[in-house]
Amino acid sequence: MITAGVDGGSRAVKAVVVADGRIIGRAVRDSGPQPALVAEACLAAACADAGLERAAVSRLAATGYARAVIPGADRRVTEITCHARGIAALLPGTRAVVEVGGQDSKVIRLDPNGRVADFAMNDRCAAGTGRFLEVVAARLGTDLDGFAVLAGAAGEPAAISSMCVVFAESEIVGLMAQGHAREALAAGVVAAVAARVAALAGRELTGPIAFTGGVARIPGFADALARALGGAVVVPPQPQLTGALGAALIAAG
Amino acid sequence: MIALDHPTAGVLRRWHAAGNLRLADLRFDPAPECLALWDFVLSEEDRLRAAQAAGGFIVGAMKDLGTIPVLVAAIPRARAFYPDGAWWLPCLQRQSGGQLAAADRLGIGEGFCPVRALLGCYAAGSDFPSPDLDICAVGATCDDFSAVAQRLAGLGRDPLWWELPAFRAPDPGEAAVTLPNGEAAPAVLVAAVAAELQRVRVALGRATGTALDDLALRASIRRANQVRARVREIRELALGAPYSPLPAVELLLTEILALHFCSDLDRCLEILDGVQAVVADRVARGVGHQPADAVRVLWLNPVADLRVLQWLEEAGGRLAGTDFMTAQAMAPISEDLPPITALAQVALCDRMIGSDRRRAALAVAEARPRGIETVVVARVPGASHGCSEGPAMAQAVATMGWPVVSIEVPVVADAASGQIRGRLEALLETALTRRTVRP
Repeated sequence: MITAGVDGGSRAVKAVVVADGRIIGRAVRDSGPQPALVAEACLAAACADAGLERAAVSRLAATGYARAVIPGADRRVTEITCHARGIAALLPGTRAVVEVGGQDSKVIRLDPNGRVADFAMNDRCAAGTGRFLEVVAARLGTDLDGFAVLAGAAGEPAAISSMCVVFAESEIVGLMAQGHAREALAAGVVAAVAARVAALAGRELTGPIAFTGGVARIPGFADALARALGGAVVVPPQPQLTGALGAALIAAG
Repeated sequence: MIALDHPTAGVLRRWHAAGNLRLADLRFDPAPECLALWDFVLSEEDRLRAAQAAGGFIVGAMKDLGTIPVLVAAIPRARAFYPDGAWWLPCLQRQSGGQLAAADRLGIGEGFCPVRALLGCYAAGSDFPSPDLDICAVGATCDDFSAVAQRLAGLGRDPLWWELPAFRAPDPGEAAVTLPNGEAAPAVLVAAVAAELQRVRVALGRATGTALDDLALRASIRRANQVRARVREIRELALGAPYSPLPAVELLLTEILALHFCSDLDRCLEILDGVQAVVADRVARGVGHQPADAVRVLWLNPVADLRVLQWLEEAGGRLAGTDFMTAQAMAPISEDLPPITALAQVALCDRMIGSDRRRAALAVAEARPRGIETVVVARVPGASHGCSEGPAMAQAVATMGWPVVSIEVPVVADAASGQIRGRLEALLETALTRRTVRP
């Protein structure tokens, strides 16, 4: 059976087409102001990537913030459940998933069967989210991909104390004026966000920890997270597709 | 469930027209008795103003949740109400009442608990009449509320303060008494609270010109116990029935009545009788507003934005346990002990005056027989009460494997609706998944 999952995130829409539990097509698009249209286009692109027509997909599951408006979905499931399902397929035996998305961060604890035991998410503000990193990247004169390059090239990270996006911008401007390198600032932000996410975990996380979501692509972030959590962190291949994969697998039943 | 524009919801449209705009966003139990419950809660200002105009003595009983109103009800011309309840006004009114903005101007900004709305009411003379006496508990109470009350005192009010000490378990060998909730408490603690309540009793008598004798107090306790018993009955039916027979918001309103009787104890009993009859009838007929397989949730803390409870129900959850900070107001008051001692004992049943671990343990012990599957800790923004129950609850239920989610519920949750609803849905999905792996 061919199924698909579409993850309508706040910053990007991701689509995955799966046949017999294996990814055969994928696509990623910026969310834009009309997530329903983007989701349809993204799904069509994933189908094309698989060499299929949209009609070949027998069941579709939607997840992410836009899940309610994604057309044609047979199921609508939260990203908590989808990331857990996706990671259980990609990295069996994982006991915790950290996902840093566009507008929230999540720590999902899994039971030995790979099912969600409980979870925690950030409240209120953009601290510790992809959006926070985007704002910082813009202040450093680059985008998220450029930020990743900067963070990966740093030696010693600068100390960033503020997690309020507005205050952090001010702090970075001040540090730049003091002569801190952009690379050190980017690495400092990564370390600060990792510490914030680790605090979200609250209790000690045991067992293998996976890191999913688009932010996991940033070089050095997984290492910073591992230091903050005090344990090894594994990034699955194409981490931002994990939720869409989970949705596609859930669609298969 | 019906919306405000339903033909039978006319009684609520009156309150909507009066400025409670948020009522249009809620859904209501269609039973006339439940609509009467809403009307009773929303009409408190009218009742208080009428009573004061007729020479009644109005007492604002703050922070203490459930004890002082029993003392006040022993005085025929006195009525107690709960100024802290003003925290619901900005939500019901979609913030148009300006209470929070007024509190901002008085220096108590959004970093504080939404009960700060009461400052705006006092300052503007709106939403409730100026009380003839303010009585305010301090001590092991919410720090935010203490700050609000101190600011109120700074405005020229002169509250009668009384101290509610922190709860502690008896030391080994220490003289102890068993509280109505089954906990043991040091006898000296009960005596300390009783001394404080005796001081309040004397001050109340002096202020109203009516000495509060034991006979009047015992009569008041008997009537309060009728309210408490009725609330407990409704709650047991609502939380324990296979089909949820009472929506979550109506259950919250019912529990709130136990705190202060909405300033009319007799009418309060009539309202509760009506709700109890509806709920009992539904239980007998096996009907409810949620399917039998709805996920059974233990919910901690009241929410300012009432829609959040309805979001849980829309997502497929139902309340099977609550800790709306009202446990002490539902505990039966001994009719055998000296009245002040009996009141002191129920005051110490307040789960908010001890550690978060104690509160979590009491909530879990009470709810566990009802087949709880998940726990929601609804945090009140800025409130020092309820800020730490998430980890404590997670620890308390760790061996049971109930997933716990902690959410912060703003006064008006519009901006956070996506996040809150997503978390509630994820929690219910998690609970449903767990059902499939049970033996």
